[in-house]
Amino acid sequence: MIDASIGPLGGELEALATTLRRSVVEVHTRGAGAGSGIIWSAHGVIVTNAHVARSDHATVVLWDGRELDGVVTAHDPRRDLATIAVDPGSVTLAAAAVGHPTDLRTGDVVVALGHPWGITGSIALGIVHAVETRRGAPRWIRADIRLAPGNSGGPLADARGRVVGVNTLIAGGLGVAVPTTTVSRFLEQVEARRARSRPRAA
Amino acid sequence: MAGPSTTTPPAGGVLESLSNDLAGAVDRAGQSVVAIHARRRIPASGVHWRPGIIVAAHHTIQREEDITISLADGTTVAATLVGRDPTTDLAVLKVDEAKVPVASLADGSAIRVGALVLALGRPGSAVTASLGVISTVGSEWRTWHGGTIDRFVRLDLSIYDGFSGGPLVDVGGRVLGVNTSGLSRGAALVIPVSTVNRVVDQLVKSGRVARGYLGLGMQAVRLPARLVEKQSLPNDVGLMVVSAEPGGPGDTAGILIGDVLIAVADKPVGDPADVLSLLGGDQIGKTLSTRIIRAGEPKNVSITIGERPREPRAARRGR
Repeated sequence: MIDASIGPLGGELEALATTLRRSVVEVHTRGAGAGSGIIWSAHGVIVTNAHVARSDHATVVLWDGRELDGVVTAHDPRRDLATIAVDPGSVTLAAAAVGHPTDLRTGDVVVALGHPWGITGSIALGIVHAVETRRGAPRWIRADIRLAPGNSGGPLADARGRVVGVNTLIAGGLGVAVPTTTVSRFLEQVEARRARSRPRAA
Repeated sequence: MAGPSTTTPPAGGVLESLSNDLAGAVDRAGQSVVAIHARRRIPASGVHWRPGIIVAAHHTIQREEDITISLADGTTVAATLVGRDPTTDLAVLKVDEAKVPVASLADGSAIRVGALVLALGRPGSAVTASLGVISTVGSEWRTWHGGTIDRFVRLDLSIYDGFSGGPLVDVGGRVLGVNTSGLSRGAALVIPVSTVNRVVDQLVKSGRVARGYLGLGMQAVRLPARLVEKQSLPNDVGLMVVSAEPGGPGDTAGILIGDVLIAVADKPVGDPADVLSLLGGDQIGKTLSTRIIRAGEPKNVSITIGERPREPRAARRGR
C-alpha cells in the first residue's frame, strides 16, 4: 500500500516538476496563441507540434521568463512535429531527459507539463490509458490526464521525469501524445536531409 | 538521435514504485477483463466473474444473439445471454471455454473514501485504464428502475467509451465492483461486489431477478390543508396515481387514475420510493393494504402484488 508514502510522493512530484519545467518552453508565433515546446538539446533544438510552430519565426520563452528568437527549421504536419532552432548565446539550456515509450505499460504514471490556457508551467498527473502500436512500434500514447490546448508541444513524462511523448491533441477526453521514438526518427530524417543538401568539396 | 540529456533522473523513487504498482494492478486484473461484442458501436467491457460466467452492463447488451467475447489471451469465443436485470443494469453471459483467470474479488471493506482506484475496460483488443479515487461512500440505495444497490459509491474518475461493465480495482488489482454509466445519466457509479454476486446468483438460478409490481405510475402531490384537517391525515403529501397498467395488479384491485395513496402497509407515503421499497421479489403474491383518497374521501384498497414483467428490450443509454 502507498498510504504511508504520500509525503515523499508529493515531494518527489514537486522535484520532478521543478526539473522538468526547466526543459519546457513557451512557444509564441505570429497570430497564434501560445503552445509549449521541449528543449531537446542544449545547443538550441526545441521540439514542438507542427500546429504550434505555424510560421517561420517563433519566440521561445524559457522557464525563467527569458526570451529567445527562434527559427522554425523543420515542419512535418503529418506527424504534427516541428523543430525550432534558437541560439542560446550565454544562456545554459537544460535538455530534457528522454525515456523509452516502448517500455510504457497501461497504468504507468505520467506527468504533463505545459501552458494550458496560457497558465505557465502547469503540471498534470495521470496514467497511461493505452499505447497504440503499429507494426510493433508505439504510434500514439493515450493518457488519462487532464490537458488543455496550451499543452500542445509540451512533454508527457514518465514517473522518473523522462520525456516519453509530445502532447499533441485531446480526443474523447484523453490526452494523445506522439511518442519520443517518433520524434527521434523525425530528427534523424531532418538531419539526413540536411546532410544531403550540404555542399561538398569536389 | 536521442537528445543529449544532461542528467537521467534517478530510479527507485516513490512515484516510480506507484507507477509499477498501478501497471501491475492493470496487468493482473486485466487478465479477467473481456470485450463484449453485442452492439453496433464500439465493444463494451465485462468481467470473468466465475468460471465461464461473464458479468456485463445490461445497457451495453443490445442484441441477444450472436454475442461474442474477446479474452485477454487474444481469443474470441461465442457467448450466450443467461439473463439481465435492468434495475441494477447488470447482465450475465455464459461462455463454454475461457482460458483466462477469474477476477479476484475484494470484500466490502476495501471500499473507502479516498482509496486510490483504477477503472479498467477492454473496448477492443487491449485493456485500458483510468485512475481516480472513491469520492463518496453511502448506504444502500435504489435505482430509478427499482433495483437495490448495497452501497452508494461515487468516483472521481473518468469513465470512457466502452468502460461500462468493466471492473473497478484497487492498487492490488482486486475487484471492488462493476462500473456503469447507465444508472445515473453518464456519471461513474459502481455496483459493489456483494450486489453483483446477489444478482449473478439469481440470474444463474432462474434467468431473471423477480421484482414486485403494482402496475401504477405515481407522483408526489401536496394535499389541500382543508382535507388534511378534515380527515386528520398524518401527512400533507400523498402519491397521485397518474397511470394504471390495464389488467395490472392496481387496476385489478380497482385503483383509478386520480386516486391519491396516503398510506401503504399502514405507513404514510410521500415518495414513490416508499412504495418501491415494499416490492421486493419475495413479496410477489402477497397482499398490500393501501389507504387512498378518492373524491375527498378516504378508502381502503387491498392490492395483490404481481411480478414486474420483463422489459421488452435494452434501454439505449449510457456508455
